[in-house]
Amino acid sequence: MQYAAVLAAGSLAVAAFAEADGAPPPGGFTQAVPGAAATIEMVPVPTPDGAGTIWMSSTEITWDVYDVFVYGLEEGEKGSGGADAVTRPSRPYIPPDRGYGHAGHPAISMTAHGAQEFCRWLSERTGRRYRLPTEAEWEHACRAGSDGAYCFGDDEGALGQFAWYSENAEGRTHPVATKAPNAWGLYDMHGNVAEWAIGADGKAVTRGGSFMDGAAGCRSGAREVPTRAWNASDPQVPKSRWWLADAPFVGFRVVCEAGESSKGPEPEGDDGQR
Amino acid sequence: MGSAEVSRREFVKSAAAAAAAAVVPGAAIARGAWAGGTESIRIGVIGCGGRGTGAAINALEADPATRIVALGDLFADRVESSRKHLAEAGEFGDRARVSPERCFTGFDAYQRVLEAGVDAVILATPPHFRPAHFAAAVAARKHVFMEKPVAVDAPGVRMVLEAANAAGAAGLCVVAGTQRRHEASYLAAMQRIREGALGRIVSARCYWNQGGLWVHRRKPEYSDMEWQVRNWLYFCWLSGDHIVEQHVHNLDVVNWAIGSHPERCLGMGGRQVRTGEEYGNIFDHFTVEYVYPGGEHVMSMCRQIEGTSPRCEEVIHGAQGTAVLRPGSARITGAAEWRFAEKNNNPYVQEHADLLAAIRSGRPVNEARQVAESTLTAIMGRMSAYTGQEVTWEQALQSEWRLGPETYEFGDLPVDEAPVPGRTRLL
Repeated sequence: MQYAAVLAAGSLAVAAFAEADGAPPPGGFTQAVPGAAATIEMVPVPTPDGAGTIWMSSTEITWDVYDVFVYGLEEGEKGSGGADAVTRPSRPYIPPDRGYGHAGHPAISMTAHGAQEFCRWLSERTGRRYRLPTEAEWEHACRAGSDGAYCFGDDEGALGQFAWYSENAEGRTHPVATKAPNAWGLYDMHGNVAEWAIGADGKAVTRGGSFMDGAAGCRSGAREVPTRAWNASDPQVPKSRWWLADAPFVGFRVVCEAGESSKGPEPEGDDGQR
Repeated sequence: MGSAEVSRREFVKSAAAAAAAAVVPGAAIARGAWAGGTESIRIGVIGCGGRGTGAAINALEADPATRIVALGDLFADRVESSRKHLAEAGEFGDRARVSPERCFTGFDAYQRVLEAGVDAVILATPPHFRPAHFAAAVAARKHVFMEKPVAVDAPGVRMVLEAANAAGAAGLCVVAGTQRRHEASYLAAMQRIREGALGRIVSARCYWNQGGLWVHRRKPEYSDMEWQVRNWLYFCWLSGDHIVEQHVHNLDVVNWAIGSHPERCLGMGGRQVRTGEEYGNIFDHFTVEYVYPGGEHVMSMCRQIEGTSPRCEEVIHGAQGTAVLRPGSARITGAAEWRFAEKNNNPYVQEHADLLAAIRSGRPVNEARQVAESTLTAIMGRMSAYTGQEVTWEQALQSEWRLGPETYEFGDLPVDEAPVPGRTRLL
């Protein structure tokens, strides 16, 4: 395969063994997830100021892992921990994968609230500090040292080697890590799904474009601010705090920072009436 | 990217098409107060849960001269939360403000709403109550938007069919919450299928496989009746089971594509994972083979089990091509390759836009029969799966298998055992 060499180089950056939970190993680690057969590959990336390191999931979070959070599939497993502080998403009335594909595909259609509660849940379950990336972290990681429009430079013609976007995606998501990674071992930063990140004002935006966007919409600097239209056709009132009926192009990846997870404030209750 | 804006021009255009397709031949054209006009249409909501409230908002979005004027629900807390959400929705001002004296509770709240000076009603209670509410609305000469399914048993379907005829004779407009019939992607695909893009239709498959839905756990103060109605999805007498409550959407699309209801079916199913008390007495999976009058065989599958592969779509197989249909997405492969590439509409707003435009134009639309037939399609599949017996359309239509208590009151209400194929008898 044309990208075999690049793919191999990318995965070399990842320590391919599962670590016991605790401080993130500097070279990266494989995060086991209670209740999931799949794991999350975490790779080290420098912080935007160059002074430190955070770890970022090399792929977008997949349904294999997000389903465990949604449906509580880890409950009853040894070491799953107490469930008291975890708020589960409401049960979606339609399969939120939209028929694009499930196993191995990025989880989609979740609100930023859902993505953040996933991070809280993952932290609870692993003892590590997971959260959404800030916009600065996300863009720095996407560029991976490149100051061009894309992680590989400015040549739009090369985008198809790195990204699922409107020209090659056929209107759907694709399994993660099936295109070439950037220089830091991160897959699908351009395209596949637009990813939640937290802006300087504390509000969530999406970055990097999706399978629905053209090349310009998938640049390292591409960002979108969520609007009401992203959940206009939720037929229930009040509308879901967890799922976006009209944003099948939204997903996320996580970052982990050094230190142990601390229990955050109690999440708000959910009315369960979705 | 899924903007919900439905422009007035767009909805009038598509409403005209929908109305033209469903006009009852020979029906009197009702030249109502609205013909060609913009006077206010006053709407009452019967069933004020999340969907009833959502439908009310959709009706306000669909037509700038609608008002929500009355609310009815079994439970006071539901009416109050609906009233609050409507008032707080913001952009509708007084159109969404319902005065407390026009809010009604109890098993007869629907009668009070019908008497509250409304022109049209939204029927969105649990499905068990739909036939009686629809019949009463038609008798009171109200236009109707009713959620799917429209019944949970054959006696209910027969009541809806009778009221459907009465609505037609009276020139009333009836639209059902099978919103795919109002969705741009589906309408575009069906037009191509009608024009022969697939050749002769030979078979179809349809699916609604997913995880679970909400559960309303019992509180000590609830009577049996209150708990069952609040947790209505899981009691067959209230929801019809998930093949009726949810999968009816997919079966409706298949009936639409083939142009007929099935003539017989053979189904199986069970209650394997959701066995706790909070899951009442419904199944968690069904598979049904339907046979249609032209010999078309249809495979239908629905499941609500967590941690399983989801799939929600309809696939129509023709002699020369295949159509795969999902909300917002439609694709035809074969001799006439095509993919829906336009901007989709918000079908939950469009269905109200189409209803309200039909009311204003005086050209009645009446979807009651088609949704009753799709409801019975699902019910016959359930009857077959529950009993293990093959079931014909006539058997299903004439069935005396009535679900639910004879009278409605808060108090004791034992839960029927879940059916057992081979032992549960076909009635």
